[in-house]
Amino acid sequence: MRLFRRDLHSLSGAYALDALEAGAESERFARHLNRCPSCASEVREFREVATALAFAATTAPPPELRDRVLAAAALTRQLPPDVTSRARSHRARGRARARVPWLPWLSGVVATAAVVVAVLFGFAQAHTEQELNQARARNQAIALVLSAPQAKLLTHATTEGGIATVVLAADRHELVVTTNGLPALPAGKVYQLWLMGTTKTVSAGLLPAATSGQTTPVLASGVVQGDRLGLTIEPAPGTTHPTTTPILALPLPV
Amino acid sequence: MNPSDSDASRFRSVPTDSRGERDLDDLLIHVARGDQIAFETLYDRLAGPVYGVIRRVLKDPSQSEEVAQEVLLEVWRTAARFDPSLGGAATWVMTIAHRRAIDRIRSITAAADREHKIAQVDTPHDEVAEAVEASLDAERVKRCLGGLTEIQRESITLAYYGGHSYRQVAELLNVTLGAVKTRIRDGLIRMRDCLAMS
Repeated sequence: MRLFRRDLHSLSGAYALDALEAGAESERFARHLNRCPSCASEVREFREVATALAFAATTAPPPELRDRVLAAAALTRQLPPDVTSRARSHRARGRARARVPWLPWLSGVVATAAVVVAVLFGFAQAHTEQELNQARARNQAIALVLSAPQAKLLTHATTEGGIATVVLAADRHELVVTTNGLPALPAGKVYQLWLMGTTKTVSAGLLPAATSGQTTPVLASGVVQGDRLGLTIEPAPGTTHPTTTPILALPLPV
Repeated sequence: MNPSDSDASRFRSVPTDSRGERDLDDLLIHVARGDQIAFETLYDRLAGPVYGVIRRVLKDPSQSEEVAQEVLLEVWRTAARFDPSLGGAATWVMTIAHRRAIDRIRSITAAADREHKIAQVDTPHDEVAEAVEASLDAERVKRCLGGLTEIQRESITLAYYGGHSYRQVAELLNVTLGAVKTRIRDGLIRMRDCLAMS
């Protein structure tokens, strides 16, 4: 049965509330929206009403959701602006969005996203064949940590601001660290990572310089029970022992 | 913020005040550039309504948490696709959140389960009342919902909070499809005008 345009128009409310069943009717209305600016503007206004309904239903989420979302975001590459379809209808964009089969339940899937991030970072920085091979090897090692079945995701703010995100593969005694939003350091200073154990503390390397606030993943090996991941600010090119108070001391459940 | 700003009309029926909404637009634009601190702030502002609306539709806390996480990450991931000329940031995010909740309910709810849930959602007005806390926005929404006819209000709350299609709403309320379409639309028009006035 073919709907008359007037009938189609009356679907604007149901459409804005996501109350059309997926299928022919919903698609026909979506097409109609492209040709009917007044319908599109009505849907937009109705969606604002729906937003008011959502705010009226405000419920505090479980507190641990915050850390999980922020940590996952730190490991998730963002889409670039959609420059080709800027002028396209809202409807088209909405549909494209809804179909993106994205992300995570944290286990495993975040790791996949993180691999993508790590690989892209490494490769973007490689300028020669040798560097590319090194990037491949490094990323392979990182990928093993990220895809370890028992990998745990830890995230913590530093006392100086910014967040450290750690993927810990306890069975491999390895971890991968990225950071986001750490303050920039004056010349001659570096951020240094440490595995701080009950009896000894060893350097786990320097944090690379940040790109857009984010540092590329660093792999640390030899994590043992009782270790905490430390981060200090040290004189370049790093020291053998921490000389300042750690801005992060994250317990590692190995 | 000056209510006579030329683009103030865009924000007139948005639940937060125009200042809040504008801040959110700015935040989202920063998020699109990879600013994780902006994302934290955005989370603190929007996680409550995101989780709240998903929870309202799905009911199950752990599934709601999963979907909320998925939605908030999608906001991070696709922030660059947000176009302020098409509506505010809050509306963009809530549209994704509600859509995802509906997708989830339609993909997983087995028929029997569904019947059960339908049976639970027969007092939409009380449901709304119970969700509204002391906040002014919620108060305003409640008052505007109260100004609808009963069937308009039930159609809208069953569709939006209950996650039912308008066909299901017609069946639940025992009215024709045409009547539900019209009532949802008329009710939303009245809500829009009521929210704009207050």
